[in-house]
Amino acid sequence: MHELSIAVSIVEIAEEELARHGGERVCAIHLQVGALAGVAKEALDFSFRLACEGTAVEGSELIVEETPGINLEILRMEIHP
Amino acid sequence: MSSSPRPRIVEVRERVLKQNDVLARELRARFRESGLRVVSLVSSPGSGKTMLLEKTLTALKRDCRVAALVGDLATENDALRLERSGAPVKQITTGTICHLDASMVSSSLAEWSLPDLDILFIENVGNLVCPSSYDLGEDLRVVLLSTTEGEDKPLKYPTIFNSADVAVITKIDLAQAVEFDHETAHRNIQQVRPGIRVVELSAKTGVGMDAWLEIARHG
Repeated sequence: MHELSIAVSIVEIAEEELARHGGERVCAIHLQVGALAGVAKEALDFSFRLACEGTAVEGSELIVEETPGINLEILRMEIHP
Repeated sequence: MSSSPRPRIVEVRERVLKQNDVLARELRARFRESGLRVVSLVSSPGSGKTMLLEKTLTALKRDCRVAALVGDLATENDALRLERSGAPVKQITTGTICHLDASMVSSSLAEWSLPDLDILFIENVGNLVCPSSYDLGEDLRVVLLSTTEGEDKPLKYPTIFNSADVAVITKIDLAQAVEFDHETAHRNIQQVRPGIRVVELSAKTGVGMDAWLEIARHG
């Protein structure tokens, strides 16, 4: 399963964005997942929990918005000040 | 008295695999500058990638400078098989990773002089799911479907067929024995990737190899 490497990339991007915008921790990540992106939601949820551990993203919610096509994109994040 | 402040919402709009995409774009530019054509092969395990590649390297080597990168979770067996063709071959052992990505390709090419090659083949890890998300900078992505796997593979794994430029039906010499339905297979492939070119061949008997070699050379 490649969901773990995808989850690690999501956490990396979230940490970069958190550093850029300032804030204490990430509360939620809104992710757009295309039906043809080749990502299984359950596997991604599981991998995301693992990838978050010990980071400022730990405990955040991964909110998936399904869409047609191949897109796999972080749309926005909710940051705790 | 302050209540817990509401979370701030920030726009991100960033592709998750952006890093791979950026690296793949750099690779593609390097390949183009070097005049190197890159063809990648994806399929399930056991569909005949290595056999097809072995025959392809042997045939093209007569008038073409060819090389191959081959990905597997473990063992160097495939590289040893491909080396019999006499072409330069490098194994990428991914460990537990189910696909090749652009950074693995990039680091594996470090010792090769790209302008001294004409065609590079990349054999991905045998997997019909994960490789579809990772651009490797290739010019042509080829998906293999063997007659022994059944005609409905394209419907079961639409993503990988959708990401490919060419579909090759392999082991055509076994078609009769496994009652392979050509018409259904072609229909299923076209259903998930309308307009894709499809070649039927047997690397073992050589049937259909000429059409494939022409595609490998010129696309």
